[in-house]
Amino acid sequence: MAQPLRDLHDVELAGLAAGGGRREFGELVRRHGPAVRGLLRRMGAQPALADDVAQDAFLLAFEKCAEFRGEGTFAAWIKRIAARLYLKRISKEARYVAETEAEGPAPAVDSIGRVDLDEALKGLSEAERLCVSLCHGAGLSHPEIAAAMNLPLGTVKSHVKRGLDKLRARLQPGPVALGSASHVG
Amino acid sequence: MSADEFDPAIERLFAQAPQFPDSVFFEADVAARLNKASRFRSAALSVAGLAGGVIAVRELLNVNFSLGPNGVSAQAGSGAVDSVGAQGGLAFQSLLERSGLGDAAFGAMGSMGGMQMFWVTAGVLVALLAAGVVKLSQQI
Repeated sequence: MAQPLRDLHDVELAGLAAGGGRREFGELVRRHGPAVRGLLRRMGAQPALADDVAQDAFLLAFEKCAEFRGEGTFAAWIKRIAARLYLKRISKEARYVAETEAEGPAPAVDSIGRVDLDEALKGLSEAERLCVSLCHGAGLSHPEIAAAMNLPLGTVKSHVKRGLDKLRARLQPGPVALGSASHVG
Repeated sequence: MSADEFDPAIERLFAQAPQFPDSVFFEADVAARLNKASRFRSAALSVAGLAGGVIAVRELLNVNFSLGPNGVSAQAGSGAVDSVGAQGGLAFQSLLERSGLGDAAFGAMGSMGGMQMFWVTAGVLVALLAAGVVKLSQQI
């Protein structure tokens, strides 16, 4: 009797998908779709574009499934594919503004002054947001990000560092996270 | 990633996938696009196979088959094709003769016109090609 798809490991599913198994690949989409969609939104993609790129990434992954050998996780592999596709898409659409230093709006906070990651990322400049997401979300190294974004390595490193510093500050619970909130005494 | 950049808390936050209420629709969209791509590929393969078959048939039309008392001979526009066709015919004939079917086969082929035999051969080739394309598209 065939093993239920839910019981199979990602590597087994990818192997079956490489042989043309669409049901098995569908299970991989079910498992990792949210992570890929989330990563693209964290990189700054609008929801519709994020979903479009995520679908393209899965289609490409289906074609390349035979290349996935299970050295890393399937999640990391598909995220890297999606991140690179997104970078290609925004550079093609001339929407890429890596040098822009303008910061996003102040993140929304909850009742105890805490922000979540997605909200905190909105407070970073587009370049910082991309670099931090590529590094910590897609698992790309600094040289890989520099090559993918066509930026000097030093610039990438400083974007990541500044972005992380801002994230840490914004993710702190309590009044620190409010940042620009003024307290009139 | 340098040591001062490694922050377990931030790593953990990035590792958490958000939940989407429309996940089912997303999965269905991916499945639909996969099916569409597969259909497109099958169609492209069929068209390519058909084009190849037409070209093969056209090339075969340029070869003049003739059945004579001395066996099969072939003439084509190019010397190479002529030689290959003639050799193939002779090999086929000797194979039939060794299996004791030579006379019967050529008797039947002799009653069939040269053009008829050509169309039968072409039909078999096209059928084989179509079967190959279908099999290939199923594998892909």
